[in-house]
Amino acid sequence: MATGVQNQESVPKNLKKQLALAVRDIQWGYAIFWSISARRPGVLEWADGYYNGDIKTRKTVQAVELNADQLGLQRSEQLRELYESLSAGDSSPQARRPSAALSPEDLTDTEWYYLVCMSFVFNIGQGLPGRTLSSGQSIWLFNAHHAESKVFSRSLLAKVGACALILAKPILVNTLRNDSLVYVFMAGNFGNRLSQSASIQTVVCFPFSGGVIELGVTDLVLEDLCLIQRIKTSFLDAPQTIGSNKSILVAARTGNDKDLACPALDPQILDTKLSPLLDCEQLEMASPNDSSDGFEPNHPAEDSFMIEGINGGASQVQSWQFMDEEFSNCVHHSLNSSDCISQTFVDHGNVVPLCQGEKDNDNGLQDVEECNKTKLTSLDLRSDDLHYQTVLSALLKSSHQLILGPHFRNSNQESSFVSWKKNVLVKSQKARDETPQKLLKKILFEVPQMHDKGLLESPEDNGVRDAAWRPEADEICGNHVLSERRRREKINERFMILKSLVPSNSKVDKVSILDVTIEYLQDLERRVEELESCRELIELEARMKRKSQDHVERTSDNYGNNKITNGKKSSLSKRKACDIDEAEQEIDYVISKDGSTDNVTVSTNNKDFLIEFRCPFREGILLEIMDALSILNLDCHSVQSSTTEGILSLTIKSKYKGSTVAKVGTIKQALQRVAWKC
Amino acid sequence: MENSTQESHLRSDNSITYESPYPIYAMAFSSTPSVANLNHQRIALGSFIEDYGNRVDVISFDPETLSIKTHPTLSFDHPYPPTKLMFQPNRKSPSSSFSDLLASSGDYLRLWEVRESSIEPLSVLNNSKTSEFCSPLTSFDWNDVEPNRIGTSSIDTTCTIWDIEKGVVETQLIAHDKEVYDIAWGEARVFASVSADGSVRIFDLRDKEHSTIIYESPQPDTPLLRLAWNKQDLRYMATILMDSNKVVILDIRSPSIPVAELERHRASVNAIAWAPQSCRHICSVGDDTQALIWELPTVAGPNGIDPLSMYSAGSEINQLQWSAAQPDWISIAFSSKMQLLKV
Repeated sequence: MATGVQNQESVPKNLKKQLALAVRDIQWGYAIFWSISARRPGVLEWADGYYNGDIKTRKTVQAVELNADQLGLQRSEQLRELYESLSAGDSSPQARRPSAALSPEDLTDTEWYYLVCMSFVFNIGQGLPGRTLSSGQSIWLFNAHHAESKVFSRSLLAKVGACALILAKPILVNTLRNDSLVYVFMAGNFGNRLSQSASIQTVVCFPFSGGVIELGVTDLVLEDLCLIQRIKTSFLDAPQTIGSNKSILVAARTGNDKDLACPALDPQILDTKLSPLLDCEQLEMASPNDSSDGFEPNHPAEDSFMIEGINGGASQVQSWQFMDEEFSNCVHHSLNSSDCISQTFVDHGNVVPLCQGEKDNDNGLQDVEECNKTKLTSLDLRSDDLHYQTVLSALLKSSHQLILGPHFRNSNQESSFVSWKKNVLVKSQKARDETPQKLLKKILFEVPQMHDKGLLESPEDNGVRDAAWRPEADEICGNHVLSERRRREKINERFMILKSLVPSNSKVDKVSILDVTIEYLQDLERRVEELESCRELIELEARMKRKSQDHVERTSDNYGNNKITNGKKSSLSKRKACDIDEAEQEIDYVISKDGSTDNVTVSTNNKDFLIEFRCPFREGILLEIMDALSILNLDCHSVQSSTTEGILSLTIKSKYKGSTVAKVGTIKQALQRVAWKC
Repeated sequence: MENSTQESHLRSDNSITYESPYPIYAMAFSSTPSVANLNHQRIALGSFIEDYGNRVDVISFDPETLSIKTHPTLSFDHPYPPTKLMFQPNRKSPSSSFSDLLASSGDYLRLWEVRESSIEPLSVLNNSKTSEFCSPLTSFDWNDVEPNRIGTSSIDTTCTIWDIEKGVVETQLIAHDKEVYDIAWGEARVFASVSADGSVRIFDLRDKEHSTIIYESPQPDTPLLRLAWNKQDLRYMATILMDSNKVVILDIRSPSIPVAELERHRASVNAIAWAPQSCRHICSVGDDTQALIWELPTVAGPNGIDPLSMYSAGSEINQLQWSAAQPDWISIAFSSKMQLLKV
């Protein structure tokens, strides 16, 4: 393998310039030179680089105008400085950076990718640069951002940019460990902006002077080894090392025939064996519409075919299959993938006829096996994982807050919030048997009921609700609930009215209201009874009294009827009102009348009856008495009568005419009957 | 503030506390600054008194001087506690006079015009045909794209969409099988609602016949109490379940599987709010007296997601508002206090 130990110092300063020239010439995004580390043998690390991609913010110290070369160089310098300051730790990073230095927000995602690349190291044989060095062939990674991480460990970085990755720090490690790239999350959650802007879509590595030169670009560029040659031969003046630098053009490309005729072909290359086996197979696998553009990346099933040099004897491009579930014969996240690949190749070798050039099937297969071995070693990505992690965490420590954006300052000095600690004990101030989400539940469950029920909330209803924490709405559908609610509302209203009618009631609950109402009703009934009976008597008295006074003024209605009619009622009430004074007299009168009812004395002397009789006078009463007496066979032969104060006093002497003697009682009764007839 | 060890120590330069005469529940931030002082932020606070007489007060907050001013004239009565308050988002008030529109929900949706020194009732939006019956509202949301559109959720299982300018109902949908507890607008014509039936459903006004269930609570019929739609990234929504300490994050593109379940509260969660300026941050408050700010990663680690930062209040926090008008401040309400915390 490349044993030429060329440490960084011996890499001439021209390298940067040469890189710059090379990259600018082909108009790619960046060029990096990886060299064997002086400190750690067997490891490739970032030696030098030139950034030629998109720039967001330009920061210059002087007003001096620099030409494009110088600007580019300066930019690359600035990026390197930024990286160094970031990775040097978070101890006041700002202070260390000069004023014109870049700060993280100034970088585009492609710049971030370039910057993060500075942190990478590769074991020889691992990673794209590592494999390039070990195999001695150039590797052209097409559709790099979709590359499997085994192939291109920075593919995630290439795809989404360091910003996104920094934000996804804790997840990445897991992702890589599982050897399965979870693109869905990456693409979705960071927004399209990030995932597209940093897309380094093509990466090319080729060995060079003991190290590896890597070139990358954000566009999709077809494999073009001619390009590599151009760079190598025209711009770089570097000695060839063992087993490397023999790139071969992609042969057997119907569309790329012109490449074969590339004038910059190194004569050495033509010696090498062409192994179109895989190219053809790749072509066949490619869509039928093999246009002159050659490679069609837009297959629904396959997103990319990466082509890599494989042959031991000759540089070749090898096709890798993109991780895709539809290619059932190649499950990438298993260690059998290498077998799959060889299987694929073998299959394709059988299926596809060799198209052009010299073929060497045996060699091809052999090479596949060789490559498989190297692939096996590269399947172990643990070191890559750790590397990723450490890089990101280092960068993150210093730049986390800034990257989050100026809006979301989480600086603890200003915020009321403190960083979350797992074991902070939360003092439970109240007993935990209190209802959880109490207020929220009240707002959602109880308050709507309040509107419904009005002021009235009986304890039993409350109790039921507390137990269930749910209104009755859960039984049946809405209509039932609505009508039930309406009914309850009506009932409650009526209770309120009842409450207001019944006096001296302090309680609000329905039972109490009903009790009080019952009592009140009974009480009222009693009183009504009393008052009615009183009124009857009063009426009677009133009538009696009025008879003794001026009759003319009274209408006959007053005397005739016992029944109370509406009209009479009013007159009665009128009378009542004005006759209050007389009431007493009337009452007395009543009493005296009571006494006079017994004022019938009948004394008898054999057939002679002496009747002394007193009764209230009324028109025609004398006649009636006489009639009554005659009915009783009493012949009145002497009558003495006088009327004083409305009372008629009679003294009647009579003889009994009949055969049998009338009883005294009978006579009394008859007389009383007459007297009270009214 | 009590000097308890568990409570976060609040410095006077990064928080403000307002003590209200009564317990508070509903809270709202105005989207327009006051005319008198452009820095003043108006906040409406609704009381929670379990009686007929409740009040809504509007106070103003100055983030520069960190002071709160009360306005006795900016206050009105409300029958029973208002279940939600909200100012009109992105309001363009007429330049001649300052006026803000405040909506409140309770028995009806009511609109109030908040002027410089008085509040006038504008309208009462009542959809019931008979005067004796109304269907009380549990929540509502004001569409920030269509400023005249408000959606309300009710215990009669329906959601009603109002055109408040005309004062009429645009449409009324039977949204769920049980009471609807919260509603949130996504776009101009798309809203989502949660209910006691345990589902989150998305409705599109262009297709009223169909709704999409994007999540159902794992225990059947566990009510979902609150919903928040991430306005910065409309794919994501958050919801909370009854008696649960979990905040469930949903991706509307992958229905029925939550993207994440944030389970670090030590008691049940009471409110959630997405950050107005970042698509990946969300805040939640709960009965454990804590307010937690979370940052959602793309893939969760094996032990779940830990919050980014936290704050402990004096008692259970019932309300949370993170307004786009003041993205640096989070306001919380617990017992009778309202606190503004610097993020």
